[in-house]
Amino acid sequence: MINIILGIPVLLAILTLLIKKQRILGILTSIGYLAVLFDSILLFRRVLISGNIKLYADFIYIDALSAFFIFVIAIVAFASSFYSVGYIERDIEKGIISDRKAKIYYLLFNLFCCSMLFAPAVNNLGILWVAIEMTTLISAFLVGFYNSKESVEAAWKYIIICSVGIIFALLGTILFSYAFSLLGGAKTLNWSEIVANAANLDKNILKVAFIFILVGYGTKAGLAPMHTWLPDAHSQAVAPISALLSGVLLKTAIYAILRFGIIIIKAVGIAYFSHLMILLGLVSLGISCAFILVQKDLKRLLAYSSIEHVGIIAIGFGLGSPLAIAGAIFHIFNHAVTKSFMFFGAGNIVSVYKKHNINAIRGVIKVLPFTGIMVLIGVFALTGFPPFAIFLSEILIIAAAFTSDSYLIAALLLLFLSIIFGAFIYHFGKMLFGNLPKGMTRIGEPLSGKIVFLFLLLPITILGVAVPFIKEDLLWIAQRLLQG
Amino acid sequence: MIELILFGILAATYLLVIVKRMPALIQGFRYQSFFIFLITLIAGLTENQPGLLIVALLILALKVFIIPFVLNSIAKKISVDENLGLLINAQLSLVVALLLTYFSWVFSGMLGFNNGHISIAITVAFSVIFIGGFLMISRMKAFTQVLGLLIMENGIFLFASFLSGGMPFFVEIAIFLDVFVSVIIMGLFVYRINKLFTHIDVNKLSRLRG
Repeated sequence: MINIILGIPVLLAILTLLIKKQRILGILTSIGYLAVLFDSILLFRRVLISGNIKLYADFIYIDALSAFFIFVIAIVAFASSFYSVGYIERDIEKGIISDRKAKIYYLLFNLFCCSMLFAPAVNNLGILWVAIEMTTLISAFLVGFYNSKESVEAAWKYIIICSVGIIFALLGTILFSYAFSLLGGAKTLNWSEIVANAANLDKNILKVAFIFILVGYGTKAGLAPMHTWLPDAHSQAVAPISALLSGVLLKTAIYAILRFGIIIIKAVGIAYFSHLMILLGLVSLGISCAFILVQKDLKRLLAYSSIEHVGIIAIGFGLGSPLAIAGAIFHIFNHAVTKSFMFFGAGNIVSVYKKHNINAIRGVIKVLPFTGIMVLIGVFALTGFPPFAIFLSEILIIAAAFTSDSYLIAALLLLFLSIIFGAFIYHFGKMLFGNLPKGMTRIGEPLSGKIVFLFLLLPITILGVAVPFIKEDLLWIAQRLLQG
Repeated sequence: MIELILFGILAATYLLVIVKRMPALIQGFRYQSFFIFLITLIAGLTENQPGLLIVALLILALKVFIIPFVLNSIAKKISVDENLGLLINAQLSLVVALLLTYFSWVFSGMLGFNNGHISIAITVAFSVIFIGGFLMISRMKAFTQVLGLLIMENGIFLFASFLSGGMPFFVEIAIFLDVFVSVIIMGLFVYRINKLFTHIDVNKLSRLRG
């Protein structure tokens, strides 16, 4: 099954070199990712029911955690590829990009998705590092895709900051393998073998190593204060790519942190992991909160909101109780889906208004009625308003903070979330309802552009309503995820 | 013998800190990589590991010849002013480098390496990593950032080879490939920056804020 998941993006990447028409290419890509999505659901089901999968002499190792991340990547990749068809077509019609460049876009898109799907599937921590570095290198081109001064600057900062960050992650990985080699076995970087001997590893080395891991992959995950590349890259990338960056690229880095975190928890105990994650989480929340309040750029606003949600996820894992972990896992999915939804909305708005500036965007509901309403729903979903899914995952994490007597954390979470809620309503209220700028009239939207919103709206609302009834299952899955 | 080469690496690293022009910086990187090639070669011969020999040859080919050649040719192509634009002058940079080396020595002691040539090796490795990072933030030209990354990667490689006798062979190869690709891609971006901005001073890239 995993062969199909990894094979389809490679196959599609090869097809981009053979097929001439970019439109056909776009449609084929979406069909391909639909297949990947179905396959990833089957994979997740199979891992939950019949246990972990090991392939090719332990090179591929898929447990519940990997399968879950593959599923999240697949769903956003499908939505994004579907949205790309219309988006790229519009760009070509307007003469922003050429036919040839559209083909390069699909080539990079497929390679990017392939490297992201590959990262959770490998067992070897060194290859995991290579896969995550590959995601940076490929997506840098997609960030600098429009070749404007701003986008190239963003791409440059992105590639340099993330590469330096990730060098520290490599240092941490080497220290982990050193701690393992002290046990006297054969040298290996396979996660499954290291975690099996976690309890015997040298605690001091692991503690230092985990700091490096956290700085390294934390940079890629957008945890403050290593987040500085994120708003630039997210705001300059092509809209469907912004969705991928924010929805799932950050999550692959979180996946890597969790992989090492599981070893740390087993070797050193949860307190160490917990304190670091909660600290970084709260700093991220605080910083993003400040920047969201004063933000003047629509896409940067959404980018800072990603830092906020990554912070919430880190706090969830940091709290460490089953309830909190269930919340954090659930939040990873919710944020991926909701944030892509919002970036698609923002993409539609920006391509009509041709500006990112919040002050220049007024009366979206009158110009783009469908997108306007969807964005309005998205704002409430993203800021954690019931009955949407993010509300539930945030409540789970806050409840977990209360039940573990971490009142300060719960209070700070509530404070930051309510400030961010207010700021979002304020910014989007102006954009959606204000007076129409001169010369703008209502613009029709094609059906294909609408379907992707409805597709993503489905899980956002259904899960928000259904999860209270399947809470036991969610807790069970969350427990399975961190078993390794 | 190993110690001598290790000190050679350190000397090459200090050289990188004081040079003011691009070709000299690339040349310094070649010296450093050549010493790392020597160390890997000796380790491969004494421990009789064919894998290490292949890695040593890769270092020689990639880091001593191909990557410097690529960087030099990009530098020629964009024909910008060769000065690196030192934000911190050479003397002060040297002092910082010295402090970073001392800090590396303390740090390696903290990690539990306090005897024999392994402690020297770990100290040198950390110095190279930190000084590489320092170079990235204290020079104006985008090129220095590419080289800084390569220098840091050299340090990591040294660290890995002394700590756990290197990483598994195929991981090593994958990382090499990755580094090579990243240099090419960063070179492309330097080229694009030069075309769009008509300079490659990263301290002037400040259009995106807030």
